[in-house]
Amino acid sequence: MFGMNKKKQQTKITEQKKQQTDNLPQDFTISSSNEKFIQHIKQKIHSPSDLICKVISDEIRIIYLTHLVDGKSLKEDILKTLEGQDDWTPRTIFEKLPIPEMESSSNFKTCIQEILKGGVLIHVEGFSEVVIAKITTYQTRSLTAPENESQVVGSQIGFNESLPTNVSIVRRYITNPNLCNEQFTIGKHTNTSLSLLYIHGIASEDQVNTVRQRIQDLDINDLIDSANLAELIEDSSSSIFPQLLLTERPDRFCDGLLSGKLGIVVNGSSMAIVSPYSFFEFFQSREDQNLRWPIGTFVRLLRFIAIFIAIFATPMYVATLTFHYDVIPQPLIIPLSESRAIVPFPPVMEALLMELTIELLREAGARLPTKVGQTIGIVGGIVLGTAAVDAGLTSNVLIIIMALSALASFTTPNYVMGNSIRVVRFPIMIFAGFWGYYGLMLAFCIILIHLLRQSSLGAPYLAPFYPPRWKDWPNSIIRLPLPLIKRQPTNTAREESNNALINRSGGLRGEKVKE
Amino acid sequence: MSKTSQISNNEKFNVSLVFFIITTCQVGVGIHGFQRLITQQAKQDAWISVILSFLFAHIAVFFMVKTLQLYQTKDLYEIHEDLYGKYVGTLFNFLYIFYYAFAFFVVLRNYIEVIVTWVFPGLSQGFIGITILLTVIYAFTGGFRVLVGIAFFSFFSIIWIPFLLWFPLEFAHYNHLSPVLATDLASIVKGAYTMTFTIVGFEILYFIYPFIKERKKAEKFAHLGLLATLLLYLFIMLVSIVYFSEKQLERTIWATLTLFSVVRLPFIERVEIITICIWLVILLPNLCFFMWAAYRGASRIIKIKPRAFLSIFFVIMYVGILLVQSRYQINHMNNFFSQWAFIIVFIYPFLLYIFAKTKKSIKNRVKNH
Repeated sequence: MFGMNKKKQQTKITEQKKQQTDNLPQDFTISSSNEKFIQHIKQKIHSPSDLICKVISDEIRIIYLTHLVDGKSLKEDILKTLEGQDDWTPRTIFEKLPIPEMESSSNFKTCIQEILKGGVLIHVEGFSEVVIAKITTYQTRSLTAPENESQVVGSQIGFNESLPTNVSIVRRYITNPNLCNEQFTIGKHTNTSLSLLYIHGIASEDQVNTVRQRIQDLDINDLIDSANLAELIEDSSSSIFPQLLLTERPDRFCDGLLSGKLGIVVNGSSMAIVSPYSFFEFFQSREDQNLRWPIGTFVRLLRFIAIFIAIFATPMYVATLTFHYDVIPQPLIIPLSESRAIVPFPPVMEALLMELTIELLREAGARLPTKVGQTIGIVGGIVLGTAAVDAGLTSNVLIIIMALSALASFTTPNYVMGNSIRVVRFPIMIFAGFWGYYGLMLAFCIILIHLLRQSSLGAPYLAPFYPPRWKDWPNSIIRLPLPLIKRQPTNTAREESNNALINRSGGLRGEKVKE
Repeated sequence: MSKTSQISNNEKFNVSLVFFIITTCQVGVGIHGFQRLITQQAKQDAWISVILSFLFAHIAVFFMVKTLQLYQTKDLYEIHEDLYGKYVGTLFNFLYIFYYAFAFFVVLRNYIEVIVTWVFPGLSQGFIGITILLTVIYAFTGGFRVLVGIAFFSFFSIIWIPFLLWFPLEFAHYNHLSPVLATDLASIVKGAYTMTFTIVGFEILYFIYPFIKERKKAEKFAHLGLLATLLLYLFIMLVSIVYFSEKQLERTIWATLTLFSVVRLPFIERVEIITICIWLVILLPNLCFFMWAAYRGASRIIKIKPRAFLSIFFVIMYVGILLVQSRYQINHMNNFFSQWAFIIVFIYPFLLYIFAKTKKSIKNRVKNH
């Protein structure tokens, strides 16, 4: 019974909808009659309560969504001007309205698109053409310091969630006629706009084409964040390591553009995508460039050591204490065995338990409000740590090693890559727990092979180390003094270009230097 | 006949990488204990045998490159088919496939033996075999670029060896070296002959040659690669001679590993355990390239898909590990392999070159007439 009822209802609804759609203009033309046009618009967007239709004069109607438009501009620029004169035609409106961004359209679909984006539709009786004044405004976050990628020396500005703002920041950094901005709209339900930015002449044409193609080929319903886009367009989304950089730092973004990479900014997302990005570049921070070069070099080397500590310290502990006691020198074995004497678990269990605790702390710290966050640090770090040792559940040495590796993993200047590094330790730990150093090396080999198999936008992932681009080596390992940085990284360079990043005479990056 | 397999530009690699491939394919399991056999022949002049063996290797590489230059874009399998015709060529190819499969097995089996003896007496040999095989297969399925990459990174896990061997020099007796040239030449040559097991691997040049971007420079890098290996082996040999007494050295099976066990760092003891495990990275290019070379040949003879090839290869290797169990069998296998390798690596390239050259010149003469 109920089922049948439901069916009936459904058919009723579909019939209604059919009727509605029948009323709509099929060929996307705009009705010349005021009333009909308003009716069409209302039908199409299901008469929302924030839809406002104003009668200006007998002939002119304006339609907009109230929360999306700038009220001041609407009042002072549009209403005042329109009321001050009679006999308007769309043409005169288009010419005389003091609005910087306007469009005249005779396409119904465009009207719908624009009104949803915050345009004001101005319809004149008797004309099948509509003037769209784009006075869209919506509240955005003000530009604050990037919280996830903070740095001490350097600019303290981060992207926010608005596409126009983000593009304008990039334009402010790079005032260059060659800065290309290609707009796309993707997502059937969300119609999210995004911008592909690159510098013509520096970025490789092939890569631009690849990215453009990949974006255009996307057939998705919704796109909320740039991270999703990155996952959709990267070479291998099944890999544990990210192949595209997600950054909220405009300076890092612009750095990428200037060295020939491509950037994508997505509306509604404060993380911009930079591609192609190689594995080692994830561990370089923009701050390295801002520090004096010996210090920058030191920090960079420190970070490279940190990766190894982060990945291998705990597994080394596990492997050594499970199988290879004989590797530990005699003076060290006494404190080690003392601290482990009352621990009831095998080292791999002990390490997994504590590492999981640290991960829990990290996750809790990330989810909790900032005010409570500090408590978590105290509860987790001090209470759990010391209590676990006192209770004999874990050894002191492990706590030290784990704290060290946790610290090391947080030195990664990119949060996404830092997460990958943290997660990849768990399988290695298990390998080490089962098969000692042999398992450790096996895991290392598998990771090495895995990294070798990856590519970022077709460019090798382990560049510049493999394939070896000897000329890029110095600046990848250490931070060279600026005058010595001569060429654009080969990973993104076009074959024939010989772009100098900088020369002594004060030339800009990307300028061709005569040799 | 002339079905030269097309190599896309994407698969080609930079010529300087030949250096890394040659070196890493040479350094494998032989280095663990090559000193014993040579010392048995050449006594304290074993280091001269090492140099001599590399002299032969350079000559062999010279002829290899000359042969390859005659054909440019062809690898050895294609050269064989071109030179001997379809059937005899296939026979020769089959020999090479078998050689590479055998080489793969020798490396794998010896390494398992070392691991079981030094690190994990309890670990099942079959299990170690399976894990290594799976790792190699994972690399293999990544394509040729990945293999070259492994060779490249593997090189950096070799270069620390000489530094570690400074430690035993503390106990060196340099008078072990003198008198120089006390052994007769025949023994030194015999010693060089026993180096075969340790030195082979560079014949991979026959197969990677078509993949090189600037082939003209390949010869230089191949020789440089040999030179790097020579320096490494020579250094190890010299350290072994001055550290061990002659009688000791003749009885030590894995002299290099014993040398490592002398190293004492402030925070690590028993360094050899760690080095043996790191050796996995050093072996990986050996295994990968040998498997790849075998596959290249197999896919030429019968149109075999990678997956089928890998499954068959996997099963054969696993069964092999289960069959060859005792130290005696391994020694026997190593001896057999090195005899065979000597012919394939040192003698055959010379013959092949002469044959190829005469055939070419005859062809040219016929054309001119």
